[in-house]
Amino acid sequence: MIDFCGKRKLWFSISLGLLALSLIVALVFKVELDITFRGGSIVTYSFDGDVDKTAFENEVQTLLGQQVSLQEQTAINSDKVNYVVTLSAKSGITPEQQQAVSEGLAKAFPDNNIQVVSSNNVDAVVGRGFLIKSLVALLVAFLLLIVYIAFRFRKMGGWSAGVTAVLALVHDVMIVLATFIIFRIPISDNFIAVALTILGWSINATIVIYDRIRENAALAGKRGTDIRETVNKSINQSLTRTINTSVCTILAMVVVCVMALVFNVHSILEFAFPMTMGMVSGAYSSICIAGPLWEMIQQRKLKAA
Amino acid sequence: MKKVGKSMFFIVAVLIIGLTALSFVGFSTSYGDFTTKHIKSAEDIRWGIDIRGGVDVTFTPPKDYKPVVGEGEKESDVMLRELNAAKAIINNRLATQNIADSEVYTDTAQNRIIVRFPWKEGETNFNPEEAVKELGETALLTIREGADGPVILEGKNVKQASVGQNPDNPTEFVVQLTFDEDGTKAISDATQRLLGQQISFWMDDVSFSSPVVRDHITDGKATMSGGSTPFTVEEARDMADKINGGALPFKLETASFSSISPTLGTGARDVMLWAGVIAFALISIFMIAKYRLPGMVAVIALIGQVGGLIACTTGFFNSVPSFTMTLPGIAGIILSIGMGVDANVITAERVKEEILVGKSIDSAVNNGFERTFSAIFDGNITVVIVAAILMGAFGPPDSFFGTLFGFIFSPFGASATGTIYSFGYTLLVGVVFNFLMGVTATRLMLKSIIRMKPLRKPWLYGGKKS
Repeated sequence: MIDFCGKRKLWFSISLGLLALSLIVALVFKVELDITFRGGSIVTYSFDGDVDKTAFENEVQTLLGQQVSLQEQTAINSDKVNYVVTLSAKSGITPEQQQAVSEGLAKAFPDNNIQVVSSNNVDAVVGRGFLIKSLVALLVAFLLLIVYIAFRFRKMGGWSAGVTAVLALVHDVMIVLATFIIFRIPISDNFIAVALTILGWSINATIVIYDRIRENAALAGKRGTDIRETVNKSINQSLTRTINTSVCTILAMVVVCVMALVFNVHSILEFAFPMTMGMVSGAYSSICIAGPLWEMIQQRKLKAA
Repeated sequence: MKKVGKSMFFIVAVLIIGLTALSFVGFSTSYGDFTTKHIKSAEDIRWGIDIRGGVDVTFTPPKDYKPVVGEGEKESDVMLRELNAAKAIINNRLATQNIADSEVYTDTAQNRIIVRFPWKEGETNFNPEEAVKELGETALLTIREGADGPVILEGKNVKQASVGQNPDNPTEFVVQLTFDEDGTKAISDATQRLLGQQISFWMDDVSFSSPVVRDHITDGKATMSGGSTPFTVEEARDMADKINGGALPFKLETASFSSISPTLGTGARDVMLWAGVIAFALISIFMIAKYRLPGMVAVIALIGQVGGLIACTTGFFNSVPSFTMTLPGIAGIILSIGMGVDANVITAERVKEEILVGKSIDSAVNNGFERTFSAIFDGNITVVIVAAILMGAFGPPDSFFGTLFGFIFSPFGASATGTIYSFGYTLLVGVVFNFLMGVTATRLMLKSIIRMKPLRKPWLYGGKKS
């Protein structure tokens, strides 16, 4: 039987270490918000044959009269390369401007069949409103889940159960954020969707363990077994179940990641990979963080009494 | 505990597989040349614009726009009325262009109109910028004195516009206007007063023709031609449609605008569908290998869950509209498969535990169900909470969850992207069917299996082979 509670210093340090790493990366490389939140313009062009990168970039800059940056991106399911043009300014370009650029590019590179594959223009005000709304959604989820856990586990110290479970969740959301930062994925509505999903999923594993603790504590009943022993026993008993469910869900997401990676479906990769990391963290936090944290608080409560 | 008959397993299994097949394949009857579709197939899934390609645009009235407020009217009421009028006109324009699958939402808190539409099937000329421009045109017809003088009448006084031919030159087409009462009076007064002078026909800021007034028009009819560049039949038809469709109450500006070409999306969708198939296969192998008989039951339940998800997406019955499925939506289906198997894993683990402790098969299975229900319930409820928030925050403001969470989210305006809404939907439906399949159907099947003599061996449920 593994002494999860006793080893809590180990688990807490691993988590803090990872979070510290992401903080360093965030400071060294700036955290990038996707245009969905900050506003701006990204247009992806496809072309046949060869088009010089710098010539293309300069042409677009001249046509728009604004600074742009150009990146290469492999097209979905092929070896072709697309050019992704990002506007440095915070506002989107209008459809008229986009059309003018397309026409200008067609004139400048007449033999290359330049096509707009996708375009995304977001007004800065709209973007900021969306960002705030997304953060509020996250907050609402946290609150609802705390209330739900506190209610379901009122015999286990209600609020302390709710708060420790949610602290483990906060940990998971930060690991998801860290994944976005470390792998330089711009933070978009994908982050919010992944974070919310991880909240709903990770709390499950925590619930299973709390459920066991509640059951074992009831069985131990009047004998008043040591809290630490109960918690450790519960975690160990739930270990196989937690790992097996996590395996299935993580497997599903890994398949999506691998397929997205192999076939260059970037939008899904930016969604599925952080999701996978979040789930691994979710399993880890439910097993190693939630239980021992709750036990630690219960011991403090006893000492204070 | 109620005992379940031996045949229950086959009944449930056949029902599940049958309904799933039906939701994929559909069912229609033909009578001669007519085919009536009774049950939709997977081909009827309405794919989002991130898969089909299309345009997503957010319109707003100009920044400093203030509506004209009448006596005793509140500005916000007038604004709401105008927004809804604009929405109706945009819907009209989309219909005229034969764009079947569009979505138009008004966000009244932020005065925005969000329009999403896919490219038409078989469309070869993708011009998103042009499409947005056409949609957002104010389309105000004015007839003015002289070449550019005061306005005589506006489009709203036109009862009907139709295409006609120029009698002097049948290859040229014109637009014939029929005015309402006010319009008839206005044109009559004007043509009487301006006999021998010019009047001009304008659409928004473009003058199309400025003919000389030859007669006093009393019958309320006038003809608009293309002037020096005569209309082709398409141009005349477009113009007539525009006039009939009505002018927007205010000029529309684009706040946000995205477009996707169809080649990008369909490739991505196929990759995701394959991912789903592979994930399902791997999970099935895992479950059967690890949990044997309960594992097999779990796989049948999962098939039912997927079938249910497809059915709820297409709408199943021909009369129910299909839900829009996006790439994150497909990811949601795959995720809910992974999460859905959870219920079966918890139960199977518990059964295995009870058997290893020495309980009989019957009591092990019963205990397995009883002791695990609350954990399964809690786990699924939390996903429901999260899915509801996802749908409320990322979906249209007038959807069920949009209105439920409206008091929190509406101050921030409707979302710029709609793809996450589909994800929330598949998660939610996945949970519902998980309860149906992963819990109820599994129990029925397992309870019936344990009554079958040849299958009453402990090792099939996780015990050791003796």
